[in-house]
Amino acid sequence: MAEDEGFDPITLEILWSRLISIADEAAAALLRTAFSTIVRESNDFACVLMDRNGDSISENTGGIASFSCILPKTTKHFLQRFPAEDWRPGDCVVTNDPWLATGHLPDITAVTPIFHRGALVGFAGSIAHSPDVGGSLWSADCREVYEEGVRIPPMRLLREGVRNEALLELFLANVRVPKQVLGDLEAQITANEVCAARLAEFLEDAKLDGLQSLGRALHARADRAMRQAIAALPDGSWSASIEADGFDEHVTTIACTVTVEGERMVIDFAGSSPQVDRGINCVMNYTHAYAVYPVKCALDPFTPRNEGSYRAIEVRAPEGSILNPRFPAPVSARQLTGHLLAGAIYKAMSDVIPRQVIAECGGAPTMRALFSGLDRAGDRFSQVLFASGGMGACPHRDGLPTTAFPTNAGAGSIEAFESVAPLVVWAKQLRPDSGGPGQYRGGLGQEAVIEVRSPGPLRLSLLSDRRDHPAEGLLGGAPGAAAEIVMSDGTRPHPKSRTTIAPGMRLVMRYAGGGGYGPPAERDPAALAADLRDGYVTDPSPYGER
Amino acid sequence: MARLGVDVGGTFTDLVLHDPLRDTVHTGKLLTTPDDPSRAIIEGTQRILREAGLAPRDLTSIVHGTTLVTNTVIERTGARVGLLTTAGFRDSIEIGREIRYDLYDLFLEAPPTLVPRHLRREIPGRLDASGEELLPLDEIAVAREVTDLVEGGRIEALAIGFLHSYRDARHERRAGEIVRKLYPRLALTLSAEVAPEIREYERTSTACANAYVQPRMRRYLDKLEADLTGIGFTGRLYVMLSGGGIAAVREAKEFPIRLIESGPAAGAMAAAFFARLAGLDRVVSYDMGGTTAKMCLVEDGAPDHKFDFEAGRVRRFVKGSGLPLKVSVVDMIEIGAGGGSIARIEQGSGLMKVGPRSAGAVPGPVCYGRGGTEPCVTDADLLLGRLDPGYFLGGEMALDPDRVRRAFAEGVAEALHLPPVEAALGVQRIVDETMAAATRMHLAEKGRDPRGYTLIAFGGAGPVHAWNLARLLKIGRVLVPLGAGVASALGFLVAPPATDMVRSHVGRLERLDWNVVNGLIAGMAEEGRALLAEAGADPAAIELTPTADMRHVGQGFEIAVPLPSVALGEADLPAIRRAFFDSYRTRFGRVVEDQPIEALSWRLACAAPGQDIRIRAPEGAAQAGDRPVPRGERPVTFEVHGALPCPVYDRYALRPDMSFDGPALVEERESTCVIGPGTRISVDAQLNLLLELG
Repeated sequence: MAEDEGFDPITLEILWSRLISIADEAAAALLRTAFSTIVRESNDFACVLMDRNGDSISENTGGIASFSCILPKTTKHFLQRFPAEDWRPGDCVVTNDPWLATGHLPDITAVTPIFHRGALVGFAGSIAHSPDVGGSLWSADCREVYEEGVRIPPMRLLREGVRNEALLELFLANVRVPKQVLGDLEAQITANEVCAARLAEFLEDAKLDGLQSLGRALHARADRAMRQAIAALPDGSWSASIEADGFDEHVTTIACTVTVEGERMVIDFAGSSPQVDRGINCVMNYTHAYAVYPVKCALDPFTPRNEGSYRAIEVRAPEGSILNPRFPAPVSARQLTGHLLAGAIYKAMSDVIPRQVIAECGGAPTMRALFSGLDRAGDRFSQVLFASGGMGACPHRDGLPTTAFPTNAGAGSIEAFESVAPLVVWAKQLRPDSGGPGQYRGGLGQEAVIEVRSPGPLRLSLLSDRRDHPAEGLLGGAPGAAAEIVMSDGTRPHPKSRTTIAPGMRLVMRYAGGGGYGPPAERDPAALAADLRDGYVTDPSPYGER
Repeated sequence: MARLGVDVGGTFTDLVLHDPLRDTVHTGKLLTTPDDPSRAIIEGTQRILREAGLAPRDLTSIVHGTTLVTNTVIERTGARVGLLTTAGFRDSIEIGREIRYDLYDLFLEAPPTLVPRHLRREIPGRLDASGEELLPLDEIAVAREVTDLVEGGRIEALAIGFLHSYRDARHERRAGEIVRKLYPRLALTLSAEVAPEIREYERTSTACANAYVQPRMRRYLDKLEADLTGIGFTGRLYVMLSGGGIAAVREAKEFPIRLIESGPAAGAMAAAFFARLAGLDRVVSYDMGGTTAKMCLVEDGAPDHKFDFEAGRVRRFVKGSGLPLKVSVVDMIEIGAGGGSIARIEQGSGLMKVGPRSAGAVPGPVCYGRGGTEPCVTDADLLLGRLDPGYFLGGEMALDPDRVRRAFAEGVAEALHLPPVEAALGVQRIVDETMAAATRMHLAEKGRDPRGYTLIAFGGAGPVHAWNLARLLKIGRVLVPLGAGVASALGFLVAPPATDMVRSHVGRLERLDWNVVNGLIAGMAEEGRALLAEAGADPAAIELTPTADMRHVGQGFEIAVPLPSVALGEADLPAIRRAFFDSYRTRFGRVVEDQPIEALSWRLACAAPGQDIRIRAPEGAAQAGDRPVPRGERPVTFEVHGALPCPVYDRYALRPDMSFDGPALVEERESTCVIGPGTRISVDAQLNLLLELG
């Protein structure tokens, strides 16, 4: 192929695979040395290898799709601030600016230049969710981004290997767990250095001076794969809208129109809710990332991702909307909005590609409870209970229980959770009947019961949605069960609030189920009987008379 | 005085016999008899004894490895298992880790649980993380549920997994007593006995898997023992554990899940044996067969270990798609790169991929002429001249190059606009690069650099690809033992009696109660010594190696840290800290100061020395400087050098101290060693080929 820049297809395959394994190796180093439980359990990190323009060449295999999509954009902002000729070996530039990077302050982006034979050839980048960035911890109820923590504009954390002590001192003075925050920054630097060192070896082995021509060839391959997948669709325009709880009276509406013209696609969110003065606004970077990711899953799941993958797709959202808010809107819990986009896009496309999409997910957005305070030894702790709702049903299979989509958060062990926090989890179990009925049933959500056993009261921050808006079914499927949060005294705390919880109290969290696919009456009787036997379904009435 | 190793694989049962009086090694191979594997064992044993001129009573021991456990899990043909859990947690094994193992697959499948939900029952009773009882065990519920599971659910085995039983197993033990009293013959597994480690999902999953395979393994081992006795065998029967140690049959019946990687472990033990014999202390073991390639780090004569494994994957080579098991296994990577790995053009990128799908033994590669139509790695090796179409399996199977050329043209070459031989070279480059990348990653995760290591290559396809793999890894030396196809079976004869014990006790180093820790280690030592004594070890020769899984407080992954002794105290703290930082730096390149350190699990490796066997050099050793005489010549296409004429040597005609230069082909019955230019080849006293890459 002409776009292969003179690389034969065998060499291209070999070099591409090797570049992916470089990003994977960087990710392995980051994951294993990071302190943040959110990085670990929630998989909330990414490592990306970029060319000298900041275009993505390869990214780690298991990372968060949104992050790898955003990192090159942030790097290009860095290049505006620090022109290419100003970078030196041993530099590292960081930011956590939501508009320049991943949409909220807790994620720190760190980018290291890669030099080969004295010339700048590319960048190694990593993003990790920091244990703390000061401010309100992780909460949804702030009024402005200023309350949400310390904002670091693009700054050099390292200059030719020397630490920027002034930046570190100021930043660490504003966080609750400075050692862990520093430990994670070091983990990111380590990951970037691994990436840079491996790339230098790679260029030696491949006898290349730089990444530019190889990058263009890889971008062209990825771009072509996506264009072919889009071109296979009929031309046309399809619209859908979905709703979520939003914040109090501000119900979130996600309106989306998908237009296919030849080998190009436009996803337009015109008609979505205006931005609100609570922390659920989703900046354009995040909106873009979570609009293109579900398209790739549905149309082109096999081609490795790089900068070329999304060139054929344009994403639009009106400025001032909840999907493209103006500074200084609060954005800390932007995932409560961003995770909804996949459901809206699949709903819009369900008539065109019904066999390639899934119903809405109970685990989108994620539901999180963050406990903080003092443990029995008097040490400060902060723990997030990781658990997910059910996935939406597939066109030929039931949805997975307790699995997050579009994010890919995992869950840790309850024994490990209890060994580091003064909390006892009395149950973490599937929620019968929570999967949306359908020819294929939505995945079950789960129920967690958590008792506070600390000497004093704890702070509780809740980040959740789907109380009033369960995950919708698709093509005749019924919605999954809504989310519920109840205290043992019967009160229902605000789903996006910071409260205090007294020792002895129990918090019951019920995670939403996924939507069903196809009419429930068409469910295979044997599948329904098996569901009844195993107690996934206790009430067969939604499936009609049998 | 002879010893016999028997490896029952999915297709073949391999036997290897060592007769120390005559210093001879005999090997045998016959088809596995899946309906009753002991039939092939008995037949093979009688045959190999006849060939060696020995009688069953001359055998002092048989060491047995089997894929029965792993196949039972993969094929889901195990027992009907019930599970008792702490109230509120019967779904732990189904909820799992909640991670999607493939980011872009909307329709991915979770590995089905081994115990369906209606056979999982909840028991009130609760301990907290420190072992304190929050709620007493409901003994009546235990009796009621197990009765219902047996009478109504018709279970054949039961697993019990209660929260925090790694810390204090009293509830599990009490429930176990109640079950044994009611149903003394029911197979029973307690999670705290099979895997006393923190993390309920992984521990309970291990308990369920053990229960799942136990009834079948018991029946099988009972029958095998009886059949061996029936033919006059009076020695001891041992089994190969996944960690590469041998154990008494009793341990295999109680904890059959420890045999999950029984066969692959033997290969690593064989590589360790060759490494010791050749005096190599830094080795990468490389075993490439028809479906997979396995690499393993062997340092100071012993393979690395890890303490978790995934069985029964939905996608064989995708991490996270299987059931987690907390068992000690040889730490090896297994990738879908073997002789039968299929080349195809990927939808989307339009580029060529090789594997992980494999043509296996049936239909096999195109060149076998058994109906295979998709081009495989072995087919590429044939087109490139690496294999002789007339001397495959010593000439038993004639290969068909024309058919292969057509398959390449239609399968991949036309789509890539390449001639078939170029496409074949592409297959070889891609499969070798895939293996190199996986090896590099595996070593990097351990903080190791492949340069400075020696590659030990075996398996049918290992010697074919070893030279190029070494080149890609910048490894300067390759050792190829004689008998590539059976080399791994030697592992059964050289494996030591060994077992790995573990107990979890979580705490920051400076707050640990060392009496508790020492008590745990002493308990493990006692249990380990007893197991090893059963496995025939001399009690005085047993070595105990303590380690701890440690991390900084706040981190989620532990590293194995060697401990200074089996009796620890405050005074050892600085040494333990130093050991932690050393291990941390080796793996991650830097350390974090001032962050507190905690330990989670305490381990004790118990091992007695293995029996190194001698392989006697054949008669008529060569004079120094003797050059071997090639039996022919054919062109071989290399990646960098293009087509070169290569002399072909008969492996069986080579004698110790001979040496010659590449490019060269050295053919033996089960494999061909392919050697490129710029390489010095010598033959050592054990008839190993030693390749020194320039």
